[in-house]
Amino acid sequence: MTQLALVIDLNVCVGCHACVTSCKQWNTSGAAGPMFDDNPYGRDPTGTFFNRVQTFEVGEFPCTETVHFPKSCLHCEDAPCVPVCPTGASYKRKEDGIVLVDYDKCIGCKYCSWACPYGARELDEHQKVMKKCTLCVDRIYDETIPEDRRKPACVISCPTSARLFGDVHDPDSEVSIAIRENGGYQLMPEWGTKPANHYLPRRKTKMHIHEDELTRADNPLRKEDIRHETSRETTLDDWLM
Amino acid sequence: MNIAFREIEGRSAGFWLFFAALGLLALIGVSSALYMEHHGHIVTGMDNQIVWGMPHVFAVFLIVAASGALNVASIGTVFGKTPYKPLNRLSGLLAIALLAGGLMVLVLDLGRADRLIVAMTYYNFKSIFAWNVILYNGFFAIVIAYLWTMMDRAGGAWYQAVGLFAFVWRLVLTTGTGAIFGFLVAREAYDAALYAPMFIVFSFNYGLAVFLLVLMGFYKWTDRPLGDMVVLRLKNLLGVFIAASFYFVFVYHITNLYFTKHHGLEAFILTSGGIHTALFWVGQMLLGYALPLAILYSNLGNSRAWIALASALAIVGGLAQMYVTIIGGQAWPIELFPGYAVSSSFYDGVVHSYSPSGVEILLGIGGVAVALLLTTFAVKVLRFLPERLDDETVAALHGAK
Repeated sequence: MTQLALVIDLNVCVGCHACVTSCKQWNTSGAAGPMFDDNPYGRDPTGTFFNRVQTFEVGEFPCTETVHFPKSCLHCEDAPCVPVCPTGASYKRKEDGIVLVDYDKCIGCKYCSWACPYGARELDEHQKVMKKCTLCVDRIYDETIPEDRRKPACVISCPTSARLFGDVHDPDSEVSIAIRENGGYQLMPEWGTKPANHYLPRRKTKMHIHEDELTRADNPLRKEDIRHETSRETTLDDWLM
Repeated sequence: MNIAFREIEGRSAGFWLFFAALGLLALIGVSSALYMEHHGHIVTGMDNQIVWGMPHVFAVFLIVAASGALNVASIGTVFGKTPYKPLNRLSGLLAIALLAGGLMVLVLDLGRADRLIVAMTYYNFKSIFAWNVILYNGFFAIVIAYLWTMMDRAGGAWYQAVGLFAFVWRLVLTTGTGAIFGFLVAREAYDAALYAPMFIVFSFNYGLAVFLLVLMGFYKWTDRPLGDMVVLRLKNLLGVFIAASFYFVFVYHITNLYFTKHHGLEAFILTSGGIHTALFWVGQMLLGYALPLAILYSNLGNSRAWIALASALAIVGGLAQMYVTIIGGQAWPIELFPGYAVSSSFYDGVVHSYSPSGVEILLGIGGVAVALLLTTFAVKVLRFLPERLDDETVAALHGAK
């Protein structure tokens, strides 16, 4: 069974929110929209977003580092929001594993937002139905869009290519390889919800360099150690000759 | 021995004033819902962190109290306590009226109240919410049938069977209401099997408190005799239910306090949660449990006025409990990154604040008004209230069939 998902590389994400705004832009004018905004430039802006960036600090000051953590619906394989929905408006597609909300069946009881352990669901305060990330389902299958652009808006817009998209059940897909080779993990796997989206952890690139590697063992100057007294008008030649 | 039931006269100016006041409150409640419907959720204090607000506090209280109000009838029918039998019609009526009021608030607070028909026609049987829809509808039907067996000779033969069925159904119904919270694994405050029995005990408490107030109110205003035998029995029972409520709340918190991972939540509710802490200690514990227990089990408990006060306090405590349970549980953030301080421009990782708007509170009060309006109307047009409930009449029922 296909399970489409996002793989987000936390090592590369710089927290620029491009994914947030491109998601909003695509979806508010697409099949999932409109996504309301109230007081967008006011003191307390509020609106519907499918994708958010959370930020947390690791370590104690001054040895801290900031981790940006983009989070949207994780399209869980055992999604807790699906069984709780009284009308069955919240459902998981068999063909590609995307979790969707049928706006026409949603009664706006908001019980699914209680049930989601990741806080990924939002009630559109004007349309009054529950909304969430659709993995841009209206884009990824749109044959009028060039094939290489048939990806979620957030994936295309990410300036650092921190977001990958593909089938996590296909072991040869780009996302599966990334998960396998870079220690990809799920958010809160202990819940047993099997989130389809994965995160690639922060990675430190370390090299061990010995001191003698910093000094040229075959430095001819050292070997011959021929140096002249430097004059007041030192030139480069004085060092070399 | 037969008990004579009679409609209340309801011709006085006081009656109509009371009736009109309730009607006005109900109208204001419905208008508030229309206002929210027109402008969207944005005009409420609710947001994507606090998704259930004041309307749900009132709605869940009324629904829980509804199943509890039926208890008085069950004691007579199922447990064969004949002195309770004259009260069973009012008990059934209150159960229906409270449920109607509660459901009105619940439905009008849905994002899409206009899609109620969808909720009634599409059922996801894995959803406890869907099961509750079935349980509420069934409760109406069963209690109406129960009232029919009480009030119509033709139905008399079914009285015991329907009464037993109604009793079992109301237990299942409150189990369902409690399970709405108990089945929520994602939020730290819930996810406990204890919620189902705890809500059943809450329902005994709140339902009886409402029943006592309504019973004493109607009998006082209509000058019908109401003996101590009935009132003192009920007030003793209310005391037991309040104590049992305290017991369940104590077990819930002591269990959470035993688990280190819940210490943050418990510290929030019990010590540092602002309005939630205040409502827990002052509203629920002091006003809801300690004071009524002190009144009911002291000499003050022999006075009608004090019993009424204790019942009213139990109701205030119940509303405080619902606020702490429903809003407090949502205000405590979901912990996605244990041990880390999380921030975002979307209020993640912080305790959520909630300021209920006036329209939300008015909708809740509207639900209470609808429940009382239905009750008042029903006792005026149908024979729900015994003419006499003095000690002689009730004593004569002892051992009677």
